[in-house]
Amino acid sequence: MPELGRLAICLALLFAAYATGVSIVGAIRRRRHLVRSGAHAAYAVFALVVVAVAILLRALLAHDFSLEYVAAYSSSTLPVQYTVAALWGGQKGSLLFWAFMLTLFTTIVQVQNRERNRDLMPWVTATLMTTAMFFLGLLTFVTDPFERLPIAAREGADLNPLLQNYWMTIHPPSLYTGYVSASVPFAFAIAALATGRLGDQWIRSVRRWSLFSWFFLTLGNLFGARWAYEVLGWGGYWAWDPVENAAFMPWLVSTAYLHSVMIQEKKDMLRVWNMVLVLLTFSLTIFGTFLTRSGVISSVHSFTQSGLGPFFIGFLLLVLVVSGGLVAYRFPELRTAATVESFLSREAAFLFNNLVLVGIAFAVFWGTVFPVVSEWVRGVKITVGPPFFNRVNAPLGVALLLLAGIGPAIAWRRASPRNLWRAFATPVGAGLVAAVALLLARVPLGYAHATFALGVFVLGTIAQEFWRGMRARQAMLHESAPRALSRLVGKNRRRYGGYIIHVGVVAVFVGVAASSAFRVEVQQTLAAGQEVAAGKFTLRYEQITKQDDPHMSRLAAVVSVWRDGRQIATLAPEKRFYKKPQQPTTEVAMRPTLTEDLYLVLGSYDEESGLVTLLAYVNPLVSWIWIGGVIMALGTTVAMWPTLAERRAPAYALGAARVPAD
Amino acid sequence: MAVLLLAVLLAAPPVAFAAATQQEVEEALTCQCGCGLTVHACNHLQCGSGEPMKKEIRERLAAGEMKEAILETFRARYGEKVLSSPTFRGFNWLAWIIPFAAVAAGGLGLAVAIGRWGARSTTAAPAAPEASGALRERLARELAEFDAE
Repeated sequence: MPELGRLAICLALLFAAYATGVSIVGAIRRRRHLVRSGAHAAYAVFALVVVAVAILLRALLAHDFSLEYVAAYSSSTLPVQYTVAALWGGQKGSLLFWAFMLTLFTTIVQVQNRERNRDLMPWVTATLMTTAMFFLGLLTFVTDPFERLPIAAREGADLNPLLQNYWMTIHPPSLYTGYVSASVPFAFAIAALATGRLGDQWIRSVRRWSLFSWFFLTLGNLFGARWAYEVLGWGGYWAWDPVENAAFMPWLVSTAYLHSVMIQEKKDMLRVWNMVLVLLTFSLTIFGTFLTRSGVISSVHSFTQSGLGPFFIGFLLLVLVVSGGLVAYRFPELRTAATVESFLSREAAFLFNNLVLVGIAFAVFWGTVFPVVSEWVRGVKITVGPPFFNRVNAPLGVALLLLAGIGPAIAWRRASPRNLWRAFATPVGAGLVAAVALLLARVPLGYAHATFALGVFVLGTIAQEFWRGMRARQAMLHESAPRALSRLVGKNRRRYGGYIIHVGVVAVFVGVAASSAFRVEVQQTLAAGQEVAAGKFTLRYEQITKQDDPHMSRLAAVVSVWRDGRQIATLAPEKRFYKKPQQPTTEVAMRPTLTEDLYLVLGSYDEESGLVTLLAYVNPLVSWIWIGGVIMALGTTVAMWPTLAERRAPAYALGAARVPAD
Repeated sequence: MAVLLLAVLLAAPPVAFAAATQQEVEEALTCQCGCGLTVHACNHLQCGSGEPMKKEIRERLAAGEMKEAILETFRARYGEKVLSSPTFRGFNWLAWIIPFAAVAAGGLGLAVAIGRWGARSTTAAPAAPEASGALRERLARELAEFDAE
């Protein structure tokens, strides 16, 4: 059976090469049948990759330890959900999973565009299939997921215990979905450059794909943060680790694109810039994968390190050279006359928003690669850790929040003093009141204070937009308030979906600022019955409990949590010892509320004395980061949801030429 | 208002520069156990690197040593990689300055460009209709397709 999987991958590679070749020849020679043959070959690639994935999954579920991959990343006692997650838990499986997602998206794109974008599609197919060839080539020639062991193992080594967590079953697929779906806008951008159709057509065709990719990058980052928070047990959720940065950079650039593309749609400018952002987002996804695999920069998250780095660097260079070359070739046609009339305009606000987003992406990139640069130049290894990233990015983040308040409210073209007053008097007033109230509440001046006050300002502008839109509908159409509000959003989904996303962004900013600035940490060694204070909580260590099963043994400290003389919870942080990989892990116990999380870690337990060492963190407002994520997801769904008109006439609504099928 | 707030904020130091606390020193150092976290964030209580470092920092601070001196001791022992962020000296200075320089240069470029575009747009003829580019392209495309058939 595994041999069949290998055969499927080899055939998929051949079909991908065929699809690339005939699509390009078909496009250049204008041969419809070749283009169609390329599309059909792309379907075949998907079908073959599905076969390979199914075979590997079956081998995992059947505990076929004759396969090196199954023996290395699973065991007979591994719970079934993590056995499935082992599909992307190791390098070979994750590359196969990547190929699966890529060919799935290629198939969807083909189906969506059967009758549209005929001029672009051969190039889109060729680009996506070239990317597929890279991954399938690695799976065929370099790292075979169906490799057999000389002698079948009796038991598997098990999945890394750190990956045996609920969030780990959804974090990598989300991130991969975000990464891989960025290939679709990239492919359309390359197609636009190759054909010279540089106007709105490709932009409109990838609008939903860009949002889709951004949506999953957002979720992937937040799920990863949540995983780190629950599993790594250091009280935080983001450590500016190179692999975290690798996931964050494409998100930043993609966010910049989603904003600046509005200017292109509205004013037909920034064509070069938008093209560059799309190409850069895709390049950063490859760079991110390179960081994860190469081990060139040490990271706690590099679960799948290997010698694949040079291949990824090679592919990245190919992407950069081809895209850069095409942009340079089309530069005269891409250039458009820019017409930003004033600093006080939405165009200018969006441009500065782009500057800050790309600036943060650059700062993160620079900090991530600086240790390598330093080693090259000085021969000295240095560390660029969280203090660097926090200090560099905090002011840029605050500036971004400010722009998130200005951008949606300021007028296009040129804001008059009257417009400025009308747009900003109330939100600025609300922000000022919040700033003063925070000072009175003894929140010191600083980033957290500024974030809270600016958060109120941003929410003020958004609330005002909703309010005015609703009132206008009520006045003109005599609708009830709820109906006016739902119609307002329903008829302008992209705009109001965007505003909802901004509400989520504010929640994330507030959660990050509060938990970074006002965290309380306590570390104490306790005997049974002894207490320690952590912020407004009193923690009493009650007893230790032990559990043992074939998969792991657990040691839990039972801690009662008291507040104002009343017991409010019992928490049991654990130390676990996974038997197959012989590895201890920390299992955090949490009491999350909207105002703060009480986060307990069992540091150590001394069998002889019965003493435990507890680490307690009181993290204010952390829940708002996750709530913000949910709000952002809701807003993105609103923005992506097709309108009735789009559902009825998709080709027209997408701005694509609808031509009859031949 | 917001600009003012930002100005106040940027003028304010990011951290209080009072006497160095245990946490400050721990955050300025990287744990050498391979966890990639700062000494302060490393939560492996039996950590062979983080725990002795925390203890030594506590003792040195109690003995009245300044933050810089303590960091220098660790740096001499483990090399520059023990510091959790680049120093502000020599080549490392570039780590700090380049991101801000890039954003500042971009901002300046943008400001100059907007100034120029603004000046031009006040003298130029009224702008073409917004969708003209898209319409032109659609017309060209449809004509091309018509011709091809």
